[in-house]
Amino acid sequence: MDYLAQTFHLLRALFPRLVEGFGVTIGVGISAMALALAGSLLLLAPRMAKSRLIRMPVESYIELMRNTPLLLQIYLIYFGLPLLGFFPSEFLCGVVGIALQHTAFLVEILRGGIESISRRQWEAASAIGMRRLATFQYVILPQAFLRVMGPLGNQLIILVKDTSLVSAIGVMELTMVGKMAIERSAVSIEIFMAIAVFYLALTTLLGVVLRLIEQRTAARL
Amino acid sequence: MTSRREFITHVSGAAAGAGLVLAQGEPAAAQQPPAAAAPGKSKLDEVRARGKVIVGVTSEAPPFGFVDDKGELVGFDIDVAKLIAKGIFGDEGKIELFKQGFAARWPNTQNGSIDFGIMVTTIYADRALQVAFTRPYIDSGIVVVVKRDSPVKTIADLNKADHTVAHLTAPVQEERGKRLYPSAKFLTFDAISAQFNAVKLGRATAAQLDAPVALYYLKDNPDMRILDEWLTDVTGNSIFLRPDDFKWWLFLDTVVAEMLGGSLYSPYKALYQKWFGKEPPRARA
Repeated sequence: MDYLAQTFHLLRALFPRLVEGFGVTIGVGISAMALALAGSLLLLAPRMAKSRLIRMPVESYIELMRNTPLLLQIYLIYFGLPLLGFFPSEFLCGVVGIALQHTAFLVEILRGGIESISRRQWEAASAIGMRRLATFQYVILPQAFLRVMGPLGNQLIILVKDTSLVSAIGVMELTMVGKMAIERSAVSIEIFMAIAVFYLALTTLLGVVLRLIEQRTAARL
Repeated sequence: MTSRREFITHVSGAAAGAGLVLAQGEPAAAQQPPAAAAPGKSKLDEVRARGKVIVGVTSEAPPFGFVDDKGELVGFDIDVAKLIAKGIFGDEGKIELFKQGFAARWPNTQNGSIDFGIMVTTIYADRALQVAFTRPYIDSGIVVVVKRDSPVKTIADLNKADHTVAHLTAPVQEERGKRLYPSAKFLTFDAISAQFNAVKLGRATAAQLDAPVALYYLKDNPDMRILDEWLTDVTGNSIFLRPDDFKWWLFLDTVVAEMLGGSLYSPYKALYQKWFGKEPPRARA
C-alpha cells in the first residue's frame, strides 16, 4: 500500500538520526539516574535524623523540588546560571535539573521503605543483643530494599520519560530529533509513534532489570 | 495514491464492518460507514454549520500572536483571523482561537483540530507538499539579532567556532546556518522567546528571527540590535489548511486577495498600521 510504503521509507531515512537522539536520551537518563540515586542516599541520613536542625534543610529542599514543575527548574538552571556568570552546557543543565528533582522523590521513597519496617524488629534485634548498625544492615535494610523496589522502579521510569523535557533547552535527544523531523516533513503521528516505541523499549528494559534485581534479592532473604 | 486519511478510513471501516458482520448479518447497504462520505465535505460547510471558525494561532510571537498586559490573546495574525471570521459570519466574534506550538501546527491541520492556521508561517515548497497555503497575507524575512555591544557586524562574522547561534526547530534555519556560518555552534529551541532569551542572557551570540517579530522584541529590549544584513530575501507568511479541500482553500485565498487589494483593503490597512505603524508596502490601494 502506498501509505505504508511512504511511511516506511520516511522512518527508515529518519532511523539513524532517531538512534543518535536515542543515544543522547540514554546518556541523559543514566547520568541523571546515577546522580539522583547518589544524591538520595546522601540525603537519606539527614532526612531521618532525630535533630530538627539537621532535618529541616533537607525537608525544605524536598518540598521545594517536589512542588515545582521540572520544566521550570530546567529553565531556571539553564537561563538563570548565566546571570551569575556560569555557562554550563545544556546537557549538564538538563541532567542536573532532572537529578535535583528526582533526588527529592527518591529520598522520600527510601525513607518510606525503611520506616515501613515494624519498630518491633528493632526491639527484637536489640533484645538478642544486636547493635543498631548491625540491625540496620542485616535486618532492616534487606527488607526495606525489597519494599522500595516497586516505587523505586516507578520513579526511575518517570525519570526516563522526564528526559524528554530537556528538549526545551535544546538538548538534541529523541524528542527533539522527532520535533525537528516533524517540522521538516509535516508528518506527525507516524514520527510520534516511532519515538514512543523507542521510549517503550527503554522503559521496558529498565522494568525487566529492576524486576530481576527484585527477584534476586527476594531469593536471598 | 493512498493517503493516510484513506488508509485509516479503510482500516477502521473494514474493522467496523467485520465487527458488524460478526455481531449480526444485516444487509450490507446499512453498514456503509459514514466516513466514506467525509472526503467530499468541505470545511467551509462544516464551519458554517458549526457557527464559528476554529483557528490555530500562536501566543509566543509578538506582534503576530501574543498575550497582552490585560491577559488577552492579541496580534496581527489574530486580527486577520477575526477579519476572516467576519467575512464568513459577518461577526468577528464567531471564532475560537486555538493556541498551539509551532511543531503542533501540522498535525492539528491534518487531523482537522483546526479549520485553518495563521501563525507567522513561511511558505516553503516542502511544507506545501503536506498542507495547502493561501497567497501570503504579509511579507516577512529572516534577520539576525545580536546584543548591542556584540562585535558581530555581518553574517560572515558569525562564522567562527566561538560563536553560538540560536535556531528554532524549523530545519530551514539550521540549513541556512550550515550554509552561511558552518563553523559556529548551533543551539535549537522550540519557542521563539527561548531563542531570544538565549541571546539576551549570553547563551548564544545571535538568533535567527522573523523580521517583524525581531522589530517588536527590540522595542522593549534596547540592549539588542538587528544586523543590517538580512538572511533571506523577502518571504511570504501565509494561512495554511488541509491540502485536500479546494472549496475551503478557494474561500480563504479569495479573502486574502481581497485584503491585499480589494474590498477588504481598508480594514487590512488599518490592522497593518495598528501593529506596524506604517502602510502595507506591496498592497494595491
